[in-house]
Amino acid sequence: MIFEYFMQGLDIVLNWNSLIAILFGVAWGTIGGMIPGINATIAMALLLPFTWGMDPVVALMMLSGVYCGGEYGGSIPAILIGTPGTNAAACTVLDGYELHKQGKTGLALFTSLNASVFGGIVGATALVFLAIPLANVALAFGPAEYFALAALGLTMICSLGEKNVFKGILAGFLGILVSTVGFDPFAGVPRFTFDILSLASGFEMVPLMMGLYAITEMFKQSQAVVGNDGFVLKAETNTKFPSWKETKPLVFPASWAAALGVVIGAMPGAGATAAAFISYSEAKRWSKNPDSFGKGNPIGVAVPEAANNAVTGGALVPLLALGIPGSNSTAIMLGALMIHNVAPGPLLFQKTPEIPYSIFVSLFFANFFMFFIGYLCIKFAIKMTNISKPALIAVIMALVFTGSFAYSGEIFSMGVALSFGLFGLGMRYFGLPHTATVLGFVLGFIMEANLRRALIISEGSYSGVFASSLISSLLLGLAIVSVVFSFYRGYKSSQKSGKAAAL
Amino acid sequence: MFKRNTLLMFLTLGLIALMIITVGCGAKAPAPAPAPAPAPASSPEPAKEEKPAWPQKEVEIVYHSKAGSGGDIFLRAMGKAVEPALGKAFVVNNMPGAAGATAWNYVAKAKPDGHTILGISSTLITAPLINKMPVNFMSFEPVAMMFIDPMVIFVPADSPFKTLADIVDAAKKNPGKQKWAGGTPGELGVVAGRELMKAAGFKVALVPFEGGGDAAVSVLGGHLDAGIGEYAEIASSVEAGKLRIIVAFNKMPTNQEIPTVAEEGYPDVDVRKLRGVVATKGTPPEVIDALVKVMKTAYDDPSFRKYFESNNLIPEFAAKEDFLKVMELQHEQIKASLEN
Repeated sequence: MIFEYFMQGLDIVLNWNSLIAILFGVAWGTIGGMIPGINATIAMALLLPFTWGMDPVVALMMLSGVYCGGEYGGSIPAILIGTPGTNAAACTVLDGYELHKQGKTGLALFTSLNASVFGGIVGATALVFLAIPLANVALAFGPAEYFALAALGLTMICSLGEKNVFKGILAGFLGILVSTVGFDPFAGVPRFTFDILSLASGFEMVPLMMGLYAITEMFKQSQAVVGNDGFVLKAETNTKFPSWKETKPLVFPASWAAALGVVIGAMPGAGATAAAFISYSEAKRWSKNPDSFGKGNPIGVAVPEAANNAVTGGALVPLLALGIPGSNSTAIMLGALMIHNVAPGPLLFQKTPEIPYSIFVSLFFANFFMFFIGYLCIKFAIKMTNISKPALIAVIMALVFTGSFAYSGEIFSMGVALSFGLFGLGMRYFGLPHTATVLGFVLGFIMEANLRRALIISEGSYSGVFASSLISSLLLGLAIVSVVFSFYRGYKSSQKSGKAAAL
Repeated sequence: MFKRNTLLMFLTLGLIALMIITVGCGAKAPAPAPAPAPAPASSPEPAKEEKPAWPQKEVEIVYHSKAGSGGDIFLRAMGKAVEPALGKAFVVNNMPGAAGATAWNYVAKAKPDGHTILGISSTLITAPLINKMPVNFMSFEPVAMMFIDPMVIFVPADSPFKTLADIVDAAKKNPGKQKWAGGTPGELGVVAGRELMKAAGFKVALVPFEGGGDAAVSVLGGHLDAGIGEYAEIASSVEAGKLRIIVAFNKMPTNQEIPTVAEEGYPDVDVRKLRGVVATKGTPPEVIDALVKVMKTAYDDPSFRKYFESNNLIPEFAAKEDFLKVMELQHEQIKASLEN
């Protein structure tokens, strides 16, 4: 029966209108993703008004194309300029930018493209065959389980401070502190806003990320450029497509990451950023060589990219199977459906199965197109790094501030971006990893809100939260083991370096 | 080599500029801030003969959430429906930021000529109560309430509760033992729950969720006993038989069979999550009247009717003072719910 519907969907996708819509959507999304400050959601929202006159199925296909392209596009600037184009690509900076600095630009960019396409296809396949079981997994996650998942993801901060466990923890806790600014959804009062209305709903993700990554990085690069005669930096870069030998060791971790991405994507409220970070930290945890992460390990590029693109398939699960959008991006798709008076949900599969199935089929095409569009974008983007550094820095700075402004339409956001840029520079000076701060910011709120929900449900008993289900006990147990292990490793390496210093 | 790079750079910048311009248009108005009054010198005596005083140009309706949000789509659909009666363009301008204050300040300070109006939801009443804001609903001239988002209490399909009486009895036996998913403090679902608890004399623990979808998933997954929220957000799960509605706070014309709290014996519980239009303070009464008339025509548009019916909105018209009364009552209800 699935096959029949699938063929029906294929029939709808295989005509010029649909194909052009998907192709355009992917191209639009990829370009949007490449621009710092425009993420998949914004790129979709921008296109939404143009879908009014379209057939709802074509509109949905185009939007899912934008969604796929956007999640991928963010990795290109992450690798080339150390600035994630989208929130979910923040994790790709860790190893991707490092690889670029080592001259392995081609390896990083094409690994990210391959991993994204792979992740996207895994996500789409899972959506076709496992939509109902995935929806059940999402339903099994209540507040206690979400808290446990976020806590496990957060343990990654311990390992981000390189040799010093405490630096990572400090930076991560700073992120959690920043996430508490704004409306307290439980007590109903503003927290740490000092009556500044622009802070009433907390710090926005986009200006914060733009500050910590882009502005910090651009400041640092300007420092390097000033007083340096290398005005046009011609790094020796290898831009070749990676060989199978280079790709083979990435397949297994990327498969895991894609599976994890699908599951996390199917959970409402978790999102692509959390999926990328959680899969990265899991890949690092289970790796035989965890120290190589963050120093230019291609697995560190493949894993988050596979995960954040697999999210696209997963995120459609709650929308199509339950009729509930799980993320901002799918909320926009819901909007597009509602305009055409099509209500998504379980009945959609019974009443008009051609709509969900043509969306499924379009995801495969979108990922297929993404490979070619991504390939062109890469060829094009690599050249940009040969442009004179000062010009590039100036352009990026202008883009970053425009992006921060456009997101909320407030001058205040530009101030936020600049402040976090300076703050990030200070953090670099003290060796505090800003990725830990972003991770704390992303997961801190999920963790806090769900812990407080779980505590209301368990009537204030912490042991009730811990033991509310097998899932939460397991995840929290793993989190504790992981923290203890990080401390032990930190202790061992400090002993070693202490000995080395003594000698 | 250099030439090619330069070309590439310009191409890229062109593409990027295109994107940024589109972003700019999406986030900000195509229309600049309060435009200079049209023709101050040409006619000292306003042309009363055949041309109406309003609208002389496009009408800009400002809204406090992002493009693509539910409220934004609603306004765009409504805009299409009123354009024939308006005779001019109806432009939606999204001004997110500062918890709504950006949009509200903009309209509060606009020229009071009815060309810049504000689309509102109950957020205009809630947000100023939570944050210290220089504006609230009283800073505007009420035009019309257009719709109500029906609020309902829902349970998983296999829940032992069948009626509101079951829930109330169980809650009275074990106060605070039932856990309900609801919105954040000040949100209308929480307000509705509180009003009902006060009227019926029972107590349950409300678990705040920020998005209606997350709350519904938690109830679907059996983590909570019941939920309270907008019908539109759970409609598809209800149709599929996964969630069951116990009671609604507002009578739905498309779902007559769902009992309301009034029918279940609590007629004093009056909570209406509203959507409407207000104008800048000082807008001349004849312009307000013209606006009211134009807004009323929206219901007649067949495609808009299909939109609001399939989105489960209840058309409920209340103009000017009547609208103000609804908002005042809601203000008191939200204030009381925030105090404890």
